[in-house]
Parts: sequence; C-alpha cells; structure tokens
Amino acid sequence: MGNKQTTFTEEQLEAYQDCTFFTRKEILRLHGRYRELAPHLVPLDYTNNPDIRVPLTLIVTMPELKENPFRDRIVETFSEDGQGNLSFNDFVDMFSALCETSPRELKTIYAFKIYDFNRDNFICKQDLEKTVNKLTKGELSPEEVTLVCDKAIEEADLDGDSKLSFSDFENMISKAPDFLSNFHVRI
Amino acid sequence: EQDLVKEFVALSTRDRIRAIRDLPMSFEEKKHIRLLSQFFRRCGYSIRSARQTLELWQGIMKEIGGKFGTSVLSYFVFLKWLLMFNIFSFLVNFGFITIPLLVYDPLPNIPPNVSFRGLEILTGAGYFNHTVMYYGGYSNETLVGLVEYNMQLAYFFTIAVYMVLCGLALIFSMARSFKTNYVLAESTSNGAWQLLCSWDFSITNERAVRQRKSNLRVQLKESLSEKAQMELLTLSEKLKHFGVHLGSWLLSTGLAVGCGASIYYLCQYEQQEAETLLVPFVVSLMNLVVPLFYSLFYKFEHYSSQRTQIYALVVRNVLLRMSILGVLCFYWMNVVAKKFSCWESRVGQALYRLVIVDFLFLMLGSFFGEFLSNVIGTRLLPRLGVPEFDIARNVLELIYAQTLAWIGIYFSPLLPAIQIVKFFILFYLKKVSLTQNCQPPRRTGRAAQMHTTFIALLFFPFFVGALSMVAYTSWSLTPSEQCGPFRGLNNTFSVVGVWIDDLEEIPGSQWVVWIYQHVIRSELFYFLITLIILVIMYIFWQVTQGRKDLIGLLRQQIVNVSV
Repeated sequence: MGNKQTTFTEEQLEAYQDCTFFTRKEILRLHGRYRELAPHLVPLDYTNNPDIRVPLTLIVTMPELKENPFRDRIVETFSEDGQGNLSFNDFVDMFSALCETSPRELKTIYAFKIYDFNRDNFICKQDLEKTVNKLTKGELSPEEVTLVCDKAIEEADLDGDSKLSFSDFENMISKAPDFLSNFHVRI
Repeated sequence: EQDLVKEFVALSTRDRIRAIRDLPMSFEEKKHIRLLSQFFRRCGYSIRSARQTLELWQGIMKEIGGKFGTSVLSYFVFLKWLLMFNIFSFLVNFGFITIPLLVYDPLPNIPPNVSFRGLEILTGAGYFNHTVMYYGGYSNETLVGLVEYNMQLAYFFTIAVYMVLCGLALIFSMARSFKTNYVLAESTSNGAWQLLCSWDFSITNERAVRQRKSNLRVQLKESLSEKAQMELLTLSEKLKHFGVHLGSWLLSTGLAVGCGASIYYLCQYEQQEAETLLVPFVVSLMNLVVPLFYSLFYKFEHYSSQRTQIYALVVRNVLLRMSILGVLCFYWMNVVAKKFSCWESRVGQALYRLVIVDFLFLMLGSFFGEFLSNVIGTRLLPRLGVPEFDIARNVLELIYAQTLAWIGIYFSPLLPAIQIVKFFILFYLKKVSLTQNCQPPRRTGRAAQMHTTFIALLFFPFFVGALSMVAYTSWSLTPSEQCGPFRGLNNTFSVVGVWIDDLEEIPGSQWVVWIYQHVIRSELFYFLITLIILVIMYIFWQVTQGRKDLIGLLRQQIVNVSV
C-alpha cells in the first residue's frame, strides 16, 4: 500500500479493521486523538501492545463527549475495569459501537448497559430517575420526576415486574425508529 | 476451493487461522488458500478506504450535526445524495453522448450571425441553441472513427439505462429506509419513554445541548399534563371541523389548479427572447409565495396531531408543484411539439430557464425565509424569536429541482452539469444561512419517518412523473425533422426496431431478436408479469398480517406468564 506508518504493525491494523467498523485511515486518526488526550502517557509506537489506560477525567474532555449528559456512563460501559479507564482497544471499540454503520442490535445492547446505572441488568426506577435528572438538568420537581419514571415503566414493562429487562428495552427501541440515528457519536 | 476461500474471507483472523488449520489438505494447498483469502480481505479494505477518501463535506456535516441535531442534518445528507445522482448522470451523458460527438466534430456549426451575448446564461437560447447543450446539437449519423458509433442508439440507450438505474436506486433506498424505520404500533407518540430514548447523542455544542434539555423538559411536562385525547366532540363541532377541512382543501386545490391555468395562459407570451423569462419567473414566484399562504392555514384549521398537520402541508405543496409541472409538460408536448421545428431544443431551453430561475429564487428564498425572519424575530417582533430551519419546505424544493433535471435529461443532456453547480452552491449557502440565522429545532421530530416519506415522495409522484413524460415523448411524439439524433424517424422508440432489423442479418444474435419480438413487444408477457407480481404482493401482505397477529399473541403470553 505504501503508507509508511510505524504506530501499528500490519497484523494489528488488520485486526482492528476486522473487529471494528473503521478503515485503516480512521484507526490511525483515532490513535492520534487518543494520544492527544494524554501525550505523556500514550506512546507513539503501539507495535508491542503497551498496557496504557487513559483515565475517565481525560476522556470526557473530548469535544465529542464533553457536552453529552451520559458521558460518564458511556465511558464506564466500554472500559474493562468498569471505572472508566480506557485502553486504546476500548477507545476504538467505543467509537465503533457508536458510529453510523453500527447495527441496531449492537447499539441496543450498549444503550441498555449505558442506561443501567447500577449494573444489575435491569433498568429499574432509580436508573430512570437518574436518566431523567441528567436530561432535564434537575429542573423538574421530584414529584414530576417520579411521575415521568412511573409512566415510562408503565409503557415499557411487559412482564409486570416494574423494572425493565433487556427484552422490554429492546421492544421499546423497536418502536422508536429515530433511536438508530440519534444514538450516534461522530468522530 | 472457491467456496472455501469465500467462507474464509468472511471470518475474522483468529477463526480463519483455526479453520485453515482444520482443513484436511496438504500444507501447500493450505498456504495457497490462506494467501487467497488474505488477498480478498485486503481488497475489501482498500475499497472501503478508497470510498472514504471520496466522501465530501465530512467536516461540515459533523459541525452541523453537532449544533443542530440529526433531523436538520438529514436535509444536507439528502442534498448530498441527490448531488451524487447528478454527478453520475453527467458522467454518463458526457461520456457516452457528448464526447463521441466532440471527438468526431469538435467545432459546433453555428450560423454566422449568432454570437455570444451575456443574456444566454439566463435564457439558454441564442448561442447555446447550436451547441451540444441541447438535443438539437446532436447528429443522427453513425460516427466512423476508431469504431463505428451509432449516435441514435447511444442517445436512446444512455438515457433509458440512466432512468432505469435511477428508478432502481430509488426503490432500493425506499425499501431500506422503510425497513429500518417501520414502526409496528402507533401507540405512544408522545410517551415518556419515547422522549427519554430520543436524546440526540451527536449534539456537541453547549448551547444546543442546553436548549435541547429545556425543550425536553417542556415536552415531558406536556406529556404529563395531557388530558384524555379522546375528547368527545359534539356533532355540531364535528361538522364544523369537517366543513373547515373541506373548505381549506378546496381552497388549496383550487389555488393549485388556478396557478396551473395561469401558467398555461402565460405560456402564449413567449415570442421574444427576453420575454421567455416571464414564465419561469412566475412559476418560481408561485412556488415561493403560495406555500407561505398554505402554512397560514393552521390558524383556523385544527388537526389531531402536529404530524398530520405537517403531512397535510406537504401534500398541498406537492399538489401545487405537480399541477404547475403537469401544465408545463402538457403545453410542451401538445403545443410546442406541433408548432415549432426543432421543438426538443426549445423544450430543453425552457427547462434550462426553469432551472436557472429556480436557483435564483432559492437564493432569494433563503434570504427571505431565514435572514429576514431572523432580523424580524430578533429586532422587530421579539415574540417570534429566532426562526427554525424548515426542513419540509427545503426538502420539497430540492425534490422539485431534481425533478426538473430528470425531465430535462432527454431534451438537454448536459443539464445535470448545471444542477451539480447549483447543488454545490446551495449546500454552502444553506449551511451559512443555517449557522447564522437559525436555532436548533424545538420539538424532537420524527426525523426517520419524515426521511422515509421524503424518499417515497421523490420516487412517486416526482420521478414517476418525469419518467412518464420522457417515456411518452419517446413513444408517441414525432421527433423533429431538422435536428437531433432521431430526425426522420416516426418516433424515438423505432430506433430499437431499426437496430433489431439490422441484427437479424448477423447470424449469432438471433436470440436478441427473439427476445425483442416475443418478450418486449408482446402484451401477454406484461400481463403475466403484472399478474405474478400482484400475487406475490398479496402473499407477502398476508404473511405480514399473520406476523402482526402473532406478535400480539406473544405479547399477551408474556403478560400472562409473568403475572
């Protein structure tokens, strides 16, 4: 191909192209963005797979994530340790799942994980309350927040256990065709 | 071996290594298969990379999406998609029709007393009339150069194949859009859950995010305080609503018909060259003013939901534009075709003028619609506020502009070039106007379903209308005697008949002749095909109904099992 780059070996680049929706050029560009976040931490040469993690506080300063109300949850969901410290593989994985060509099923799975704040595989009322507060900046009164959450659970809950399992969530997503185009971060 | 390679290309590296190891073949054969599958994978990736470098305007789209959200961005995506149609059309037409003629006969044969004045840019007549811009500039001979190039067949087949490919592309993208955006039950359109799911993750601008949050707050409060939707109206109120609806629909249809009739009357006044600009001017003026008038109807008309209101507005605008275009096509095919020699070039010029004046009015419309509204909304009448970007109106304007290009392709093969320049400038113009004058949309609209509606509108009635007009022209109308590639024939389609007659003498192509005589020219074939398609559609429809019932049953079962 002739593109001289020393950041990754050819096998690594091929592996990235296999496992994500990005092309070669995008992966190199992502590495540049990743390195920008912590230049003293992230090496230029990734050929020997260094085990470097960039902490959550630096990742959420990216312009694509800075204003997103769910930025902490997004980064935590894709981190291996659950605390939000992303290795480069996690970083690429995150943007790949959120990109335009990512299929609906993948996005639904990750959206469920993001909305599930307490990670118990159910979206319960507390999770919904946190979501509503993040989306309305806390300007609704507590009674209104409770009402909204009750209404949302009532609409979505199919099996009547007043919390939403993944199948309930998937069912509601299938009724919202805008979800696919809305759940999308451009990088 | 080919099947093995195909299988391995689709696997990931690790699986591929494992699968190759499991093969019961010699080492040499395994190495060969490994190399082949790696080669195909690399080819796939380089195609993907190459396609990405050709992507236009990525940075600008990201900026617009970040500030205004996905629904406004869908307008720009639609514009880019239409631009691709025009680029493809221009390349095909220029390559297959214009270049052979230019190679064979580089100098246009212009009569001595005609020179280039500035007015041609607007009117398209005069100097341009004798160039390859229009139908009349093309010869009907078989050009003898490196190969024998039959201009008649080239012209006919290039345009026919392009139209068919366009139709297929539209059908496929309509089907794909419908598949992703199909909603099973229309139950909760404003429900709390919908609102929670509708957060647009691609917005990155701080002010836009704040505004979205406050809009969402307002919408949530609205949905909480909703009273029962099914207000029982009294009979007199129902009659009153019905009367108002009937009246407004009659008024809008009457306006559309009236506009069409006045355009037909004005078409008579096209004698001198400067006067020819009158009709396009009036057409564009009507397309600008009458929709504004339609959007005032909402003051006294009450629809059940905002979406129905938008759809009603869209239908009225479509009716208006279709009636104007229909009247113009009728005039061209019935009056111009019989009155003038070289009538195709005249129709081509008329379309050129329509495209140019439409472009000028689009620029004017942007000025009035967005800039002035912003000034009025911020300085003069603060109650109105900063305007929003009217997606429906702008998309309809794009669809109309593209329809003009599709009708004009037969009469003026290089019209797509003008369209490309027009769309290019329009993109930057709308982007600047948007960022300077508009605010992000207040209601999180149903962008996906509107997108499906717009593609469906593009296809039917606009594309189908353009295709029918071109098909009618080539089937029934006599080409002009003095100019163009089809002079001397009874109708354009007989070019194929002549070609088939020539083919009968060549021994190896009897099957083409057979197909032409027994399949394309026989009515029984089309009857059978239609019948088969109808039966298949009915079967699919029944399957869909059955699946809907099954989903309802399963849902009931879930509730029963858990209780």
